[in-house]
Amino acid sequence: MEDKLIRLTVNGRDEAVVIRPLATLQDVLRDTLELTAVKSGCGQGGCGSCSVLVDGELRLSCLTLAERAEGAEVTTLEGLNETNAIVPLQQAFVENYAAQCGYCTAGMVVAAKALLDRNPAPSRDEIVEGLSGNLCRCTGFAPIVRAVQQAAQALSDTGEEAS
Amino acid sequence: MPELLRPGSIDEAADLIARHGAAASVLAGGTSLMRETYPSDGGYLIGVDRLGLDKVVSHDGGWSVGAAVPLSVLREAVPIAALQAATREIGGPAVQNMATVGGNLFARAPFGDLAPALLALGARLVFATAGGETTQSIEDFYAGWADGAPPRAGLLTRIEIDAPTGASAYMKCARRRYSTPSVVTVAACVEKDGGTVSGARIALSGASAHPFRCAGAERAVIGSGLDEAAVTAAAAAAESAVEPQTDSVASEWYRRRMTGVFVRRVLAALA
Repeated sequence: MEDKLIRLTVNGRDEAVVIRPLATLQDVLRDTLELTAVKSGCGQGGCGSCSVLVDGELRLSCLTLAERAEGAEVTTLEGLNETNAIVPLQQAFVENYAAQCGYCTAGMVVAAKALLDRNPAPSRDEIVEGLSGNLCRCTGFAPIVRAVQQAAQALSDTGEEAS
Repeated sequence: MPELLRPGSIDEAADLIARHGAAASVLAGGTSLMRETYPSDGGYLIGVDRLGLDKVVSHDGGWSVGAAVPLSVLREAVPIAALQAATREIGGPAVQNMATVGGNLFARAPFGDLAPALLALGARLVFATAGGETTQSIEDFYAGWADGAPPRAGLLTRIEIDAPTGASAYMKCARRRYSTPSVVTVAACVEKDGGTVSGARIALSGASAHPFRCAGAERAVIGSGLDEAAVTAAAAAAESAVEPQTDSVASEWYRRRMTGVFVRRVLAALA
């Protein structure tokens, strides 16, 4: 088994990366491209801290083989705004104290973006379901749900996209 | 380290599975297999992402669902209550975008919560083998499981689902609301003639080594009006049919008790 060269688009940039056999998308994003907002939590698909968008869909980078992401468009937290400014969704997390230790936060924001892209005006139950694959062991989730509610409200007021 | 092979055709994939036998594992969405694969393992991972198995075809009598269709796509494409409920009860949104219909049918207990819905709907499974295509009922597929593991039947390529002739319902008993293994999961599809049940399929997962149809519970309700006595008899039949394990999710005792409770609730929803 040999290393392979794959091409993919990450946060709008075309990348060509050499991957080891069975490398995960998480390995490529964190270790090769140094996009460390992608957290390495459980490695089992249980915590959601490695959440990214692949072709606009929420995925777990720890369970995705890099080879199978060839040609895909991948978005991490770093790619939510190309000028690196804070987006309304992140601002809502700040204002609602939705981050404590912060380890889950990047995955939460990405999962919330996937939800709001699909459903710009979610009910509280829909927010809870949309974030159900992301674990937070600090906040008790309530401030996170409030942040997403506020972001959805702000987006409907301004007519902007989530990021 | 296992070697990843990504065949470009179904025939090639079926040949690889036949050639490598027990050393081959089929890799679909990866949500179960990736976490069980270690660098120290040998063997082969046969990727099915280049086989065109990711489509749902709707036809006059029902749906033909590719084995590599993600659960979130199934939910949008096939409007059957029990099936749509099942897809929301497996993992969170990211897992539902990755995990496939076919892959979930091979999940080990207490995972594999799509199966009871497909058992209740009388689905058929189509396999590609080195000798050609074979079709078997999903019941026969699970009857072939031994020691909680599936038989080597070739490559599952699609799942045939007929449009249901009755109403269906699905409920999962779990320790929290989302993204959690099953204590027990119950699905049923009931046909009625007037107020009388003329046909019923009642299926369970989570509380036995593999998903199964509960013939005793079905007999208890066929010919009844889903009245209290019939539902009580069905719940009792299901409680005695399950063979629950004790694990970190639930004890044998609790799984058995919840089997009766959830058979009752599912049948009440269809009464």
